[in-house]
Amino acid sequence: MPPGRTAERLRRLLALVPYVVRNPGTSVAELAELFGTTREALTSDLNLLLFTGLPPYSPGDLIEVEIEEGRVWIRMADYFSRPLRLTRAEALSLYLRGAELSGAPGLEEAQALRSALEKLRDALGPETLGELTAEVEGEDADGAGPLPAIRAAVAARERIEIDHYSIGRDELTTRRIDPEEVFPALGRWYVVAWCHMVDGERLFRVDRIREARPTGERFEPRGLLGQGRPLYSPSQQDRMVRLRLGPRARWVAEYYATDDEREVDGRLEISLPTKDLGWVAKLVLRLGGDVEVAEPPELGQLARDVAQATLALYR
Amino acid sequence: MQPLERLLNLVVLLLETRRPLTFEEIRDGLAAYDQEDVASAKRQFERDKDQLRDIGIPLEVAPVDVWESAEGYRIPKERYYLPQIELSPEEAAALFVAARGSRRGDDAGQALVKLLVGSGSGLLGAAEAPGTAGPDASAPHLPAAAEAASRRRRVAFTYRSARGEERERSVDAWGLVFRRGSWYLVGRDVAQDEPRAFRLSRIRSSLRDTGAGEAPPEGFRAAEHIVAGPWGVGEPEGTARVAFSPKVAWWAVPAIPGAQVASTRPDGWTEADVPAAPGEEFVSWVLSFGPDAVVVAPAELRRAVVERLEAFGAAG
Repeated sequence: MPPGRTAERLRRLLALVPYVVRNPGTSVAELAELFGTTREALTSDLNLLLFTGLPPYSPGDLIEVEIEEGRVWIRMADYFSRPLRLTRAEALSLYLRGAELSGAPGLEEAQALRSALEKLRDALGPETLGELTAEVEGEDADGAGPLPAIRAAVAARERIEIDHYSIGRDELTTRRIDPEEVFPALGRWYVVAWCHMVDGERLFRVDRIREARPTGERFEPRGLLGQGRPLYSPSQQDRMVRLRLGPRARWVAEYYATDDEREVDGRLEISLPTKDLGWVAKLVLRLGGDVEVAEPPELGQLARDVAQATLALYR
Repeated sequence: MQPLERLLNLVVLLLETRRPLTFEEIRDGLAAYDQEDVASAKRQFERDKDQLRDIGIPLEVAPVDVWESAEGYRIPKERYYLPQIELSPEEAAALFVAARGSRRGDDAGQALVKLLVGSGSGLLGAAEAPGTAGPDASAPHLPAAAEAASRRRRVAFTYRSARGEERERSVDAWGLVFRRGSWYLVGRDVAQDEPRAFRLSRIRSSLRDTGAGEAPPEGFRAAEHIVAGPWGVGEPEGTARVAFSPKVAWWAVPAIPGAQVASTRPDGWTEADVPAAPGEEFVSWVLSFGPDAVVVAPAELRRAVVERLEAFGAAG
């Protein structure tokens, strides 16, 4: 059962008090940011601490809290000077996220992350993490590419110019973007940005960005949705492709954002929304006899054209 | 009195006591339980105890004296406090990125705050790394699989293989592997009596705990039980030389595990030696690049690509 609201506040206070004891004079604003709450909620929780202490609860037995000019001091709370240990769920969650992140290609912090996870394991001991081993295999990408430059731009809210290869349209374009968040998903890095070329929100795969150049211009974030968003956003201009997948082609349904799945004579029929048919034609060529194109009719011919052009390179 | 105030004082009381306190002693100390109706005060106390345990506070029940005349309650300090973990600013910053996700105040975020508070370093430096989020880690079944692997449990679930066959599996959970964007549970398939890997995204039911599992053999490495080449599942046997067009080479070659660039040709194409295996899978993978990749050698693989293209209806 997830902890209720009171338990949640208690959990927060038991982490917050040690923080303030160790960092006297921290501002309320900073604490609210750090602990993911509002200043008002934080202040009312801090006021409760004034009634916390040991019997007989005379003034000398109570925690002292002082809030002055937006800064906080806490005294007489020696028993809360160290944080509560991690629960299993907390430790597992952080450990797994850390493990997954360390497998994202070209992360500068990968080494620091691995050593942090090791310390975590050693310190928490089997009581918390049990026998868990999470082995991570990163793609041994050559260097980090434009990732560090893009992360720096996000942090500085700086507009950048990128050379980006779109696999859907099969072309390299140069565009100016306002990058708002960088996040890993499915083992790759993505950057969500406002794109000035199309004047709209776009998601770019970082490994398909050949170069990112600073422009020296700043931007105001629009609050675009980052981590957790779907990797494909359907649009009005989408073409609907319908494919019948044989057993060896079923992975397509797991890999791409497909819908309307139906089993037809031992084949899996799926819909695949897409803005461009070019990459789907290559997919059809890749799948060969394991796929039948149901719609649109021109996709079959398109795939044969790609095959033709490819075969010409072998002659 | 607010519930939070009562809970806080209960934690302090039980943390600071030298010996376990009986409920009566707690009632004497804490006005919040000092109601007329003892039974309702006791019920309140029971609920509070559960709440504290829910957020991970180790509230213990122990005899109050050596004669075991009565039971009392306490929170042992050595089990309450987070052990000292010294993190460098770089390590703290890396964990900060990992925990920064879509949801605030979730488990990973709580864990991070405790660690950073406990390590007493790096927090402010780490807070200056906005804009880079950690993994979503909301993969279905991941917490359950981690729980099973960490406690060496046997779990049962419905699994759909890559070929679409769906059936029940019983597995002794041994480890987790994150590979190329997917999590796998690796363990002993009880029916086959052999180690197998299961991609979490292909598990079609919840994981049911069916008891203690067998321990893995000495020196077990989970990752060795997932074999894959650039094309997907299957073991590489040697390499093939493949030429990539200038349009795709710069992103395609670095993304191929184990690929070695051999040369850049005068026409701008890049030739690379990539892990390969005989058979359809490798050919399919090369064809996914369309006219932007050409197998240069070996001759058999080249022939296999040509045959596939001709069979597809491309006239020569």
